[in-house]
Amino acid sequence: MDLHHFQVWLVTTIGGKSAIADLMRTAWAWPIAESLHFLGLCLLIGSIGAFDLRLLGVARRVPIAAVHRFIPWGLLGFAINIMTGSLFILTEPDQYIYNPSFHFKLLFMTIGGLNAATFYLTSYRRVFGPGASLDAPRRAKVIAAISLCAWIGVITGGRLLTFYRPSACEGPQTALLLTCAP
Amino acid sequence: MIDPFLAWVESTALSQWVVGAPTMFAFPGILTFHAIGMGFAVGISAALDLRILGVAPGVPLAEMRRYMPFLWGGFWLNAVSGVLLLIGYPTKALTNPVFYLKLTLIGIAMALLARISRQVFPTGGSGGSSDPPITSKLRNLAIVSLICWAGAITSGRLLAYTYHRLTQLH
Repeated sequence: MDLHHFQVWLVTTIGGKSAIADLMRTAWAWPIAESLHFLGLCLLIGSIGAFDLRLLGVARRVPIAAVHRFIPWGLLGFAINIMTGSLFILTEPDQYIYNPSFHFKLLFMTIGGLNAATFYLTSYRRVFGPGASLDAPRRAKVIAAISLCAWIGVITGGRLLTFYRPSACEGPQTALLLTCAP
Repeated sequence: MIDPFLAWVESTALSQWVVGAPTMFAFPGILTFHAIGMGFAVGISAALDLRILGVAPGVPLAEMRRYMPFLWGGFWLNAVSGVLLLIGYPTKALTNPVFYLKLTLIGIAMALLARISRQVFPTGGSGGSSDPPITSKLRNLAIVSLICWAGAITSGRLLAYTYHRLTQLH
């Protein structure tokens, strides 16, 4: 199954017809979910961003492990956004699955996730272990810079969604991903 | 009913560029900067509030001051992008009571931040070593700060759904 068929399959399978979709179409559900999505964004940037900045040398007198205690709040923000984001997709699947801005948002989320995994797999002991320096190793700094850029990319992709709404496809599509509704 | 001042703002080249320029750097780009600035301004203010409320106790409260430039960077990014959005759609914002609610909540949140900062960041820049005590009054300020930011964000988001008039012509 190529990617175009996968996208069409996803949109038709989700269909936007469910109790959740009906709930989201009530007067205030969508704006409330959007507001929660923005609050989650702030939690994520305030926690994960603060940790990234610490790795890059901000507040360098504070032990890195101490700043890491903010991370669960960033994960809470991320969880809120996965949940509210899923509500949007379950209600209007075609508006996201065929939207190039959403594709970039997913790409940046993947980069952010793999980048965080790389941090814990490669730098955990040197950053948090006994005798850890107050100055993060260079590799951790590079990871922190990538993290900040990735999350800013996620925000950008999300904010621009509305300006790349897919229209109906005309003629054969040759791009990697469908960016129009067949 | 035409408001001459709002009609004039909407007739300026800047307003028309913000609204209508065929580039992602105009309205879409300004909105994007507004969201990024919000993440840093509100996010770091919230992190300071959470620290006061007991999160990350190993971080000396006074050292949170090192993050303040990023909070202010986000704040000024949003002041500038917000004014540009206002110049783009003055009627949409200024005829909507929710817009004044948003500005009021931001004002209260910033006043609370100033009060919290005075209490937790020792003046004189000596790099003070001992943290001020976290009083219940300080905790209450942090809680109200979080509530105000949540309200400001919600009312900001609701602007897209609650306006009565988009422009003087519509």
